[in-house]
Amino acid sequence: MTTAPAAFLIRGLHKTFGEHTAADHVDLTVAPGSFYGLVGPNGAGKTTTLSMAVGLQRPDEGSALVHGVDVWQEPLRARALMGVLPDGLAMPERLTGRELLTSLGQLHGLDVAESAHRAGELLAVMDLDGPAERTLIVDYSTGMRKKIGLATALLHGPRLLVLDEPFEAVDPVSAATIKRILQRFVAGGGSVLISSHVMALVEQLCDTVAVMAAGRVVAEGPLDEVRGDRTLEDTFVDLVGVEVGGGRGLSWLAS
Amino acid sequence: MVGVLIGMKLAVLRNTATGGKKAWAALGATAGLTLAVATIVLSFLDFAHPRMLMDLLAVTFALWALGWAAGPAFTGEAPIGGHHFQRQPIPRRTLTLGLLASAMVAVTTLVTLLAFTALVVFAARLSPWAVAVAIPAAILLLLLVVLASRVVSLLFATLASSRLGGVVTASVTAAMVALASFSWVVFIAVYILLEHGFPARVSTVLRALPSSWGLLSVEAASRGDWWGAAGPLAGLAVLAVALFGVWSRLLGTQPITRAVVRGSSAEWAAPRGWAARGDLGLFYLRELRTWWRDPLRTQNITLPVVFALLTALFPVTLDYTGFFPFAGAGAAVMGAATCANLYGQDGTALWMTLTVPGKEKADVRARQLAWLTVFGPMTLAMTVAGVVVHGEAAMLPWALAANLAALGAGAGLLVWIAVVGLVPGPDPHRSKHSPLDHGDVTGQSLLMFLLTSVAILPALGVALAGHLLGQAALTWASVPVAIVVGAAAYLGFGRLAAGRLAETGPELLQLMRTGKRPNAAAGTVRPPTAFETMGAGSRLRMWGSMAVGIIALFPQGLVPLGIKLDGSPDKVWFLALYLPEAWQWPTIAVMILIGLAGFGGMFAVYRAETRRVRAD
Repeated sequence: MTTAPAAFLIRGLHKTFGEHTAADHVDLTVAPGSFYGLVGPNGAGKTTTLSMAVGLQRPDEGSALVHGVDVWQEPLRARALMGVLPDGLAMPERLTGRELLTSLGQLHGLDVAESAHRAGELLAVMDLDGPAERTLIVDYSTGMRKKIGLATALLHGPRLLVLDEPFEAVDPVSAATIKRILQRFVAGGGSVLISSHVMALVEQLCDTVAVMAAGRVVAEGPLDEVRGDRTLEDTFVDLVGVEVGGGRGLSWLAS
Repeated sequence: MVGVLIGMKLAVLRNTATGGKKAWAALGATAGLTLAVATIVLSFLDFAHPRMLMDLLAVTFALWALGWAAGPAFTGEAPIGGHHFQRQPIPRRTLTLGLLASAMVAVTTLVTLLAFTALVVFAARLSPWAVAVAIPAAILLLLLVVLASRVVSLLFATLASSRLGGVVTASVTAAMVALASFSWVVFIAVYILLEHGFPARVSTVLRALPSSWGLLSVEAASRGDWWGAAGPLAGLAVLAVALFGVWSRLLGTQPITRAVVRGSSAEWAAPRGWAARGDLGLFYLRELRTWWRDPLRTQNITLPVVFALLTALFPVTLDYTGFFPFAGAGAAVMGAATCANLYGQDGTALWMTLTVPGKEKADVRARQLAWLTVFGPMTLAMTVAGVVVHGEAAMLPWALAANLAALGAGAGLLVWIAVVGLVPGPDPHRSKHSPLDHGDVTGQSLLMFLLTSVAILPALGVALAGHLLGQAALTWASVPVAIVVGAAAYLGFGRLAAGRLAETGPELLQLMRTGKRPNAAAGTVRPPTAFETMGAGSRLRMWGSMAVGIIALFPQGLVPLGIKLDGSPDKVWFLALYLPEAWQWPTIAVMILIGLAGFGGMFAVYRAETRRVRAD
């Protein structure tokens, strides 16, 4: 092999729910060392695609390869290579952040000292120690839940991160921290795939973007190619093919 | 407003009606309808004792009311509740009225109204004037039970978010369930009552209950005592208004601040020692921490224990302590029944197990071990204490065998049912202010109760054989038999559960995310079972057979058998023991045969239906 396999190669992932096609033969390619943004309006199929790609939802068709390892054929090897943050799912809720991270580290095969060390570092970076030390995850705020989720994704030192809406409901300070962690991860050779519907954020962070609408990928490529000389938001609205509503205002609201 | 809320409720019901849900709803409706018809039939009967009919109806109405009050603990919260409208500018009174109206639109209300027409029948037999009173009384009674149900569930929901509150609500629920499950006593013992009527004291207490006020009013009207008729009716109305007031007060209040449970400090957080030695230890520690910290789990522990204690204590009213040794076994069986939604309770947290593949088995085993840790020592202590208080050492092998078999089989079946019969509910962090807002686990609990009870039978059979043959050693052999059966169920069903979890993990996660089973068209997912597709007739036959099976085999077959073997002169409330000596053994044998035939019939119907589904 002359070229290294893609960090994440998604081919033909397809899922229907009854008559509704949530993901329509989706292809995505995340190059090693790239910061990849998947954008799309609500209900475009981003979460379904990512869930299938990381092995949390069984696809009707298609495959996902992490550095050449098939997620559905060789789950053990594939999962070791990637860290996952699903959007809005529960955790072992009656544990504290440290209890969760230390035991998860040991489940991943780290020894007691190493997992305690990594847990400590992650909690400090995410600002989840100190006063929040003994708070159970069930009592975390939405932003704290995102941060502990991200910590679980980073814990075992993956080479690929797949993060569904990592910045939603996260305060600006924490967001800046997370951005810095992710940028350093990419600078160190890791690859990141995030989904978001905050265009400005994707423009700021990502070098490659894909746009999904109604279950399909309507554009994929380097950021500058996809948006041309316009903003990503304008390109996005064009690509998704909808008219922006609200121009006429709402009849019963005073203008 | 009222119309809008009714419309919303109907929409919710329409949108959430899946095959399995419909099946359970139909079962509930069938059972309810049967009970309602039985209530009406009762009101047509003639009794020699003058007060008898009224007392029996009073018991029946009290049971209906009890069912309404205890129901929400199993069925979860109402589909449309006050919290959905907290931020809307709707006056509280209007909102409560709307919610009440939407609560009235349900099969359960219809069935209950039907049952309460027994009051009208009762009145018609007395005088036409009494009927005029009976109709408003029946409607007021219906209003009362619906209101009571909502108020109780709201009060419970507020209480249950702390661990102490969990203990309180679970105890009250257990008391209601225990009382309701003893309802058959009244009807089995009816031939004693037929002669003597209810003891005067019982009768007085019964009539004082609000659920009997309708009867009082009707009876007074038939005597032409108009003040006596108006009084109880007014009482019902006042009570309904008061409950309505309480409900609308509760709707407005902010959720009470929860007693927040804290986790361990930094130095104690990491698993160490035995817990750090392997995956099993890591998961086990997580489970134990959850058992200790989660108010819902507190309820899961309290309910079975209180239920078992009360069940053992009820017969003490007849000076019978023979149930004491079996309180531990009873608690273990109920514990298995109330804890069978382990995965459903954790919600979508399953994704974390899926991201470390190959650990499913450790996860399942850890849940089994943790459940055993919680229920094992506690129920065994109850068994030993029960035998000591009862004061008959010969009962020890029986009680111990039953307890051990229930523990092993419970721990095995529990995880298996938790996986194959998972009931999705809201994620814990979304329902942390209302832990009662879980999925409807009634069917799951019933199934667990039944299966665990069956697993006890082999060991009790051995004990029985030992007793009949007069060989103490054989009686004691029931203990190792129980251990073997329990261990086999523990290992076997745990294995099955782990396999199923590894195989269908993503589907289970999807089920918890969306509350719906992935549709069959998706390929690998199983087609609907016979249980979900069978018609109303088959369903009635299947559950009817099961009910006959349970009642004939357990309370009227095996229990009197045990009492007779025990040589005890107590009759308690078992039909066989009231008959002449010569008839006692045949009656017990017939009851056991009827019971077995009932279960046989149930499986026959199910198998026939399964074959039909496969053929389709």
